[in-house]
Amino acid sequence: MLKLIKFFSLSNIYKLLHRVLRDIKSGLIDIYLPLFLVPALTLLIVFQLIPTIWAIWYSFTDIELLGRKLFEYNFIGFENYSDLGEDPIFWKSMSVTMEYCIYSLVIRFTIGLAAAFYITSKMRIAKYIVALLLLPYTIPGTVIPYIWLSMLDTRYGTLNRLLALVGLPPQSWVYRRAMESVIMINCWAGYIMAMLILASALKSIPEEYYEVCEIYGASRLFRFLHITLPLIKYPLILCIILIFKEDIDDFTYVYMFTEGGPHYRTELLSLYAYHKAFAYYELGYGCAVGVIVAIIVFLLTLAQIKLSRIA
Amino acid sequence: MYKGFLKNITEPSLEVLRYVILIAMLFYILTPLVWLFITTFHPRGGPYLEIPEKPTLENFLILFGIVKMRVGAAAHPVYMHKWLLNSFIIAITTMIIVVVLSAMAGYALSRLKFRGKSILMASLLIIGFMPTIAKLLPLYKLCIMLGFINNLIGVAIVVASGALPVQIWIMKGFFDHIPRDLEEQAWIFGCSKLSALFRVVMPAAGPGLMVVAFFSFLAGWGNFTVPLILIRTETLFPVSLGIASVFLHHPGEIGLAVEYGPLCALSLIYALPSIILYYLTRRYLMHIKLARIEVGV
Repeated sequence: MLKLIKFFSLSNIYKLLHRVLRDIKSGLIDIYLPLFLVPALTLLIVFQLIPTIWAIWYSFTDIELLGRKLFEYNFIGFENYSDLGEDPIFWKSMSVTMEYCIYSLVIRFTIGLAAAFYITSKMRIAKYIVALLLLPYTIPGTVIPYIWLSMLDTRYGTLNRLLALVGLPPQSWVYRRAMESVIMINCWAGYIMAMLILASALKSIPEEYYEVCEIYGASRLFRFLHITLPLIKYPLILCIILIFKEDIDDFTYVYMFTEGGPHYRTELLSLYAYHKAFAYYELGYGCAVGVIVAIIVFLLTLAQIKLSRIA
Repeated sequence: MYKGFLKNITEPSLEVLRYVILIAMLFYILTPLVWLFITTFHPRGGPYLEIPEKPTLENFLILFGIVKMRVGAAAHPVYMHKWLLNSFIIAITTMIIVVVLSAMAGYALSRLKFRGKSILMASLLIIGFMPTIAKLLPLYKLCIMLGFINNLIGVAIVVASGALPVQIWIMKGFFDHIPRDLEEQAWIFGCSKLSALFRVVMPAAGPGLMVVAFFSFLAGWGNFTVPLILIRTETLFPVSLGIASVFLHHPGEIGLAVEYGPLCALSLIYALPSIILYYLTRRYLMHIKLARIEVGV
C-alpha cells in the first residue's frame, strides 16, 4: 500500500515525467514511438469498437427501446437471427440493398475513373474541370436531398422540363422510379473520393512508361490494360472497398427522400435496421440486422483483397 | 495501310467522344448547382429553373432574422449565427483532433516494424464496418456516461473517431514516401530525433496534413447522425440539424413545406467554408498517397 502511494506521489510522477522528457531529448524516442499510436487507438476503441461489441451483445437479447424491456432484457440466443430468416421484408430489403450497392458502385466508380482521367490529362481546361467536379463535395449531405427533390419534382422539376425539351413524357421520379432517383442522388456527390484517390495514383505513374509505349506503337487499350491498370491497382481496390462500405452504411438520402417507400422498394438494410430499432422499438432485432450487414461487408472486403492478390 | 486508315478515323472521333462525355458529366453535376445558385437570389423560388427578373438578397436577410419568413416555417425560430458558430466549433475541433492523431499514428505505423502490423492496418479499416445505425444506442449510452450530451466537443470527438481510420491510411501513405535518409541526415547533423521530426519530417509531410485537414473538416462540418443523437438544445444545433429542424417536418415528406429561397441561401452559406478550404488545399488534393494494401489475411 505504502509502495503504491509512493509510486503515485506527486514528486514521483514529476520524476518520471522528467525522465521521459530527458529520454526524448537525448534521442531515445524510438522507445516512445509506439506511444504515438496510443491516442488514436484509444479513440477508436472507445467510440468504435466498444459500441460495436455492445451492439453485437444486444443482437442476442430481446431488448426494446420503450417500456420495461429496456432495462430487464433477457439473453435469447440466436432467436433474432432465426426470425430474420423468415422475415420477407428482410429478404426484400436484402435484394434492394444489393441492387442499390452494385449500381451505385459501378456508376460511382466509372464516373470517378473518367473524372480522374480528365483532370490528369493534358487538356488546357483540366485545371478548371477539377474545380467544377469538386463542387458537389462541398455541398453538405443534408442539403443534397432538398436540391434533388426540386430537380425531380414531377410537375415543375428541372429534369422533367429537360425531358420535355427532348420530347419525352414526364416521369414520376420519386414514386415510380424511386430506386433510380436514389442511385442518381447517391452518385452525384459520391464519386469524388474515388476521383481524388485515382487521380493521385494516375499522377504518380512515371511519364517514361507512356513514352516507351509511344515508341513501340502500343494501342490505347494495351496501354490502359498493361501499364495504367497494374500501377493503380492498390488505390483502385481501396476505392472499391471504401465506396462499398459507404453505400451499405449510409442511409441519409433514402431516409430523407423516400423513407424506404413505395412498397419497401428503397428499404435498404441500414434503413431497415433503423426502422426496426427506432420506429418499431425492437432494438435487439435492429442490432441483428446491423450485425448481418457488418458480416456481409467484412466478407466482401476479404474477398476483394483476396481477389486482388490472385490477380 | 488498313491499320493507318482505321487510326485516322478513330483518333478524331475518340477526341470528339471525349468532349461529349465530359459535357454530359458536367451537365449532370452542374445543373443542380446552377439551380441552387439562381434560386438563392430569386424572390419567389420554386423547384423550377428560372432566372429571376429582379434578383434579391431578401433570402439571406430572412435567415439572419432581419426579415420575417412569409409562411409555413414562420413559427419556427432560426438561430442562424449560433448554428454557424456551433458547426464551426465542431468542424475545427474535429479537424484538430484528426490531424494531430492521424499524423502521430501514421508516423508510428510508417516507421515501426512489428509483427501483426498489416493486421492492425486491416483492422483499422474493418473496425468501422458495423453500420452506424446499429451502433447508435450503445454510443448514446456511452455518451451519457461521458457527459457528451449537449456538448459540442463531445460531438467532435465522436465524429473524429469515425473519420480517423481512412485518414490514418492516407497519412501513413504520405510518411511512407518520405525517405528515411532525410531523417538520418538530420540526426547526423546533430538534430535530436524529436526535433528532426518537427523540422524535417513534418514540413515534408505538409501536403498530407493539408489533405487530412480538408477531409476531416468536411466530416465535422457536414455530419448529421452524431449531432442528431447527442444534441438536444436548439441553440446548440449545428447547421445540418438546424436545416432539418426548420425545413424537414416529417421524414419522407420534405418538399411539402419547403421555402425554397431561404433554404437555398442557407445551403450556399453552409457550402461557403468548405469551398474556401478547398481553394486553400486544392494544390495538394491531387497528390494523395495511399498506403499499400499488404494485408495477409
